[in-house]
Amino acid sequence: MELVYGIFLYAVFLLTMGGIYAVLTLALNVQWGFCGLFNAGIAGFFAIGAYTAAILTAAPSPRHLGGFGLPIPLGLLAAMVASAIIAWGVGRLCMRLRSDYLAIATLGIAETLRLALKNELDLTNGARGISRIPKPFEHLAEPWDQIAMLALVCAIVVALYALLERARRAPWGRVMTAIRENEASARAAGKNVEHLRVEAFVLGGALMGLGGALMAHHIKFIEPNAAEPVSATFLVWVMLIVGGSANNRGAVLGAVLIWTLWSGTEIITARLPTEWAIKAAYLRIFLIGLALQFMLQRYPGGILRERRLRTSSATSSPSSPPPAAAAGPP
Amino acid sequence: MNERKTSTTKRALATGALALSLAVAAPTTALAADIKVGSAGGITGPIAELVAPIINGRVLAAAHVNEQGGLLGGDMYKLVHADSQCDPKAAVDAGQKLVNIEQVVAIVGPSCSGATNAMVQSVTIPAGVAVLSDSATAPAITELEDNDLVFRVSASDAYQGKSLAQYVRDEGFTRVAITYANDDYNAGLAKVFEKEFKALGGTITGSQLHEPDKASYRSELSTLSGNGNPEALALFAYYGSSGITILRNSLENGLFGKFYIADGMLDDSVIEQLGADALRDNIWATRPVSVETPSFDMFADAFRGVGQDPDAPFTAHGYDVAFLMALAIEHAGAPDRGKIAASLREVANAPGEVIRPGEWAKAKKLIAAGTDINYEGATGTIEFDRMGDVPGIHSLNAVGDDGTWTRIK
Repeated sequence: MELVYGIFLYAVFLLTMGGIYAVLTLALNVQWGFCGLFNAGIAGFFAIGAYTAAILTAAPSPRHLGGFGLPIPLGLLAAMVASAIIAWGVGRLCMRLRSDYLAIATLGIAETLRLALKNELDLTNGARGISRIPKPFEHLAEPWDQIAMLALVCAIVVALYALLERARRAPWGRVMTAIRENEASARAAGKNVEHLRVEAFVLGGALMGLGGALMAHHIKFIEPNAAEPVSATFLVWVMLIVGGSANNRGAVLGAVLIWTLWSGTEIITARLPTEWAIKAAYLRIFLIGLALQFMLQRYPGGILRERRLRTSSATSSPSSPPPAAAAGPP
Repeated sequence: MNERKTSTTKRALATGALALSLAVAAPTTALAADIKVGSAGGITGPIAELVAPIINGRVLAAAHVNEQGGLLGGDMYKLVHADSQCDPKAAVDAGQKLVNIEQVVAIVGPSCSGATNAMVQSVTIPAGVAVLSDSATAPAITELEDNDLVFRVSASDAYQGKSLAQYVRDEGFTRVAITYANDDYNAGLAKVFEKEFKALGGTITGSQLHEPDKASYRSELSTLSGNGNPEALALFAYYGSSGITILRNSLENGLFGKFYIADGMLDDSVIEQLGADALRDNIWATRPVSVETPSFDMFADAFRGVGQDPDAPFTAHGYDVAFLMALAIEHAGAPDRGKIAASLREVANAPGEVIRPGEWAKAKKLIAAGTDINYEGATGTIEFDRMGDVPGIHSLNAVGDDGTWTRIK
């Protein structure tokens, strides 16, 4: 009975983490899926959001700036604003770069941000991190605290999904697709490509900050190691590619699925003898890479492929939508 | 579309739950006589090479328990390993699985301070599970409101930095430069050392952090050596990722000749790679273990017996946490999460009949007879204070005539 209850609590946790990753994946989908911006620096925006929320809401400490003990919603909002500002600055500098150069630039910027946070001791307490970050609903009794947290994360994911779906169907989303597919014609049609790309980059960056802030509240502690590229950038990429880029439902599905694979495999490896359990820890990382390879080879568009919008005149057309030429592999 | 989404989600959830219950249920019913304790550690991640031997220390303690009668009524003492990756996200994930899926009665580990902090705050304290860490040294852990559920056998950095500062002053050095690896452990030590050394009337000529895993540290070192005429270098780093390179750069270029280091550097490979003659009388190391106690020797012999190096950083701590946890379960009289924390303090603190590493049969008999026991661990006398911390015991080590690390103080 205790075990069933334990599995239930773990499932709640698994979905909460999956949901937080879904926020990050949806954010990346705005940048890559919609607009074709290759952002390899998710961890940087994640870190900005996480640290902003942490400093604003944590209990006062002499080790770092603040904490100011402010309400959590304010922290979430500020995290989005801070990440958006950084994204705007980065966007202004880098939006003229072609996708592969943009990837290198963002990767470098993310590492710069992480190292800055690690070295600004007075601001962030460096490698020792920020402790005692409040968690929403933590005063409730178990299991309601965890269920409420899951509900909050789910509500945010659903709201973002609705918002981004609307954006995707709106003229704004169609311009994004145009820029992604054929920049020259979008430009020829009189669209301000640089400006629109910055818009997508800032929106995505702000949502990545939100994801980072939610993570900081969820784990109640933040340090630079939490923004390592493997689990804060590349894992999100795998989630989006597997789920299906340019498809918001695919982004959410990929996040939950890959997180379950990432976390759940340890339940099996923990059953092995010590020596094997230790080796298997490395195998789990390999498994994620394998899943990515398999998906890219077998289903290059992801599990849920992009659904192309037809123009209003085509609504009555019986022809099936063209096969989604989904965004290519990174 | 929405209906389809819900049904796919439902199906996926149902499949997932089924797979989980299958994976979990089978072994638990088959091995009902196991008492599971979580063993979290940074198996992968930045300090993986340090963690593997620490886990071997924990495993040796479990083997001692199981060889000498097991827990309670002969139950197997089973450590369930989980990878906390030295990342707070991963540690929370690992803690969730240990507490909820594995249903462990308590947890030893995790390795890194940040990982420990996140795991105890977001998982184990709310769940009421006791955690005993072997290598979390950050002072921030002391301050957590932990309902008396968080313990550690490694002293807070505050103690080791202080001991080292005192040793350096005792040697007569007044001007020292500091370089430290920018991670939670070494940065914390360096900060305390700097403060304490100044308080003792010393001068810090320069303090420079460095990022690990660089090919060369010559520029950082020449800046440090060129400013304020330092007499020695206090080096806080892990040997593998930057420590050995810094020593080599310093010696080859004649930038520094005397070094003070802490336990993250204490490894035989330091001597092997740089040569005993180059280091003898030039390097001193603190270590949060009082070696040459009977307890340490008993641990060291047993650990060497399984082909491991007892001088590797924090291996003695790994042994102690696993052994202490077993004593606490035995003392609690049942694999009961609620009682273990209180029992930990009972079995570790004086007064009581002294129990040393490996003496499980003796301890079991004494506990059964209701005698108070006091575990004197491989790392020293372990006495938990009100906050679940231990006071630091530190020895000073140097390179001996036989070319190994030898205690001198």
